[in-house]
Amino acid sequence: MSNEKVVKVALIGNPNTGKTSIFNQLTGLKQKVGNYPGITVEKKQGICKLSHTVKAEITDLPGTYSINPTSLDETLVLDTLLDEKKSGFPDVIIVVVEIENIKRNLLLFTQIKDLKIPTILVINMIDQMKRKGINIDVKQLEEKLNTKIVLASARKNIGIEELKSTILEYKKLDVTPIGKITDRIDKEYFTRLKNAFPEFPLYKSWLLITQNNEFDFLTNEQRKLVLTFREDLGCIKRYQHKETILRYQIINDVLKESFNVDKSKASDLRGILDRVLTHKIFGYVIFALILLFIFQGIFDWATYPMDLIDTAFANLSSWVKTVLPAGTFTNLIAEGIVPGIGGVVIFIPQIAILFTFISILEETGYMSRVVFLMDKIMRKFGMSGKSVIPLISGTACAIPAIMASRNIGNWKERLITILVIPFTTCSARLPVYAILIALIIPDQSVLGILNLQGLTMMALYLLGFTAAIFSAILLNKVLKIEGKTLFVIEMPNYKIPSIKNIFYEVVEKTKAFIFGAGKIILAISIVLWFLASNGPSKFKNAEETIAAQIESTQLSKGELQKKVASYKLEHSYIGYMGKTIEPVIKPMGYDWKIGIALISSFAAREVFVGALATIYNVDNDSENTGTIKQRMSAEVNPETGEKRFNFPTGISLLLFYAFAMQCVGTLAIVKRETNSWKWPILQLVGMGILAYVSAVLAFNILS
Amino acid sequence: MQDILTYIALGLAIGFLVKKYFFKTKKKGKCDSDCGC
Repeated sequence: MSNEKVVKVALIGNPNTGKTSIFNQLTGLKQKVGNYPGITVEKKQGICKLSHTVKAEITDLPGTYSINPTSLDETLVLDTLLDEKKSGFPDVIIVVVEIENIKRNLLLFTQIKDLKIPTILVINMIDQMKRKGINIDVKQLEEKLNTKIVLASARKNIGIEELKSTILEYKKLDVTPIGKITDRIDKEYFTRLKNAFPEFPLYKSWLLITQNNEFDFLTNEQRKLVLTFREDLGCIKRYQHKETILRYQIINDVLKESFNVDKSKASDLRGILDRVLTHKIFGYVIFALILLFIFQGIFDWATYPMDLIDTAFANLSSWVKTVLPAGTFTNLIAEGIVPGIGGVVIFIPQIAILFTFISILEETGYMSRVVFLMDKIMRKFGMSGKSVIPLISGTACAIPAIMASRNIGNWKERLITILVIPFTTCSARLPVYAILIALIIPDQSVLGILNLQGLTMMALYLLGFTAAIFSAILLNKVLKIEGKTLFVIEMPNYKIPSIKNIFYEVVEKTKAFIFGAGKIILAISIVLWFLASNGPSKFKNAEETIAAQIESTQLSKGELQKKVASYKLEHSYIGYMGKTIEPVIKPMGYDWKIGIALISSFAAREVFVGALATIYNVDNDSENTGTIKQRMSAEVNPETGEKRFNFPTGISLLLFYAFAMQCVGTLAIVKRETNSWKWPILQLVGMGILAYVSAVLAFNILS
Repeated sequence: MQDILTYIALGLAIGFLVKKYFFKTKKKGKCDSDCGC
């Protein structure tokens, strides 16, 4: 294997050309395939075997409309293509274009071709050709573009083998630039440029002087020359403008002879669907109905598997106590580890259902219509249409969502998006919402078809978005940063969702939840159990103290055990910690036990349920531990005699979790993306105040 | 014996949490497989 020759391949293309699908087919690696622009933010690599002795190392670069970067992820493409000494510099480039948007997609191809790197043009989605009435003269197109063309359909695995053979023969590819564009702009200027950097292809020199980047690979002398050329900024802007016009002229001429669309033969419903789905009234109504359907599904369909899991873990706890020899480690397993893990596993059905729906919306192409629909609204709030993507991604996890905001070119719009993303309801909030809604909202139908619990869940999602929007308005007024950007969106074709892609997506997200958050929940459950099961002298003398207190009263063995367990928990280490913070959280309607769960869940929101499960399990000294829901439902407020998780406390908790910045990981990523502690601290304090005030108000008004 | 096992489990849990939040290694690539939120 070590004797295999490696060909370095860069995969480049506009967003939504199916570039990532081509990458998946070539490498066999699983990767998220979405229909909305800018989904590939990070560089992805994979290996493709071309022959017995040659393999290709393929890099899937972020989607970009041109080689002139306007955002961070597009800069990545430029960096890869200019530095020949860099390890990632490609031997061959594959430019992926989509059959229906070939004219716009070819702009990037003509730019890359001028860098004199062997380039293959892949025309993707050819399975749509007949339906769209499209005809291509491939031979003529190859001649005009001085390249090898592969017709492919990544979704139907067409053309992939031909592409592999073409990569294998990459040295035979023609590297002649197209149309001598530089001569047509200003021959004299470009001759001067060519003489200044004789070692580089002319177009590379042009990119060096037109981009404001610092290129590490340049010598000091070359850097000085670059700065000299950059001085004449007016000239550069004028020539850049001319360059784009000339490129489109060339593309038009090439396509006129080799590409035609016979609309009379086209038979697609796209136009009709687009008109309805992006309609200024029906568009929003349809989107709201789809959301309603999703949240109904989450509650209705997930109930049965969730009940089964909950009961199974409750039985497992009891079984562990019966089977294993009595002792502290057995108690740790039965009261700490098993309920802790149960608190994670129980939410798998809801998370799987949510991501199945989100994947279907992305796969069908509907999500891009939502982005388009929301653009006008987003602009009013100081964000870009591109902000919708991170905001929707935020329903999974704020961290990748904040990273996805890198493709927003304007700093102010990007900063506002980063700051408001944590308001969107991430999957970590789902377990907290689910258990609280199940406790305080009755499981009854509304209008015969809707479920009240599902409606409440939807209301909480909308509340998150509303909070994000209002915060954006406020930030837009407060932040004094200037600048505007244009919003370009690709409308991909509607597609039948690929079951394989949906399956991978759901498995990946569920795995991320179990193994990412699950490890933290397990560790915190162990620590919490220890702190709740140990304590100073009062804890150790619990039996004697209770025995002395109840000398005169007649209590059953069970009642006595319960009293001792309660006294122990109150005088454990965690009890003392909880009592210390109780004055602060009491106005929100919480006792010290909820306070402990609240603090623990700062590491990860979903820890809340596992933490309460552990605390209530230690509190209950009987062998029959009950389900998480039963234990929370049975908890009584000793001051009022009412249920601890009643309507006012439940709503107060829901509001607290809707607004509070309860995630250390998000704070860390905001610091990294903004390169300052100022913004994450502002987020933490601002969201914390909003959460606290809303929770206090809700509890006091509803009580 | 049970006490020793309990303290080992506790040590591992605290070690994991300290490493995760105080000595977090800079991760390249996608975050969503282990985002910790």
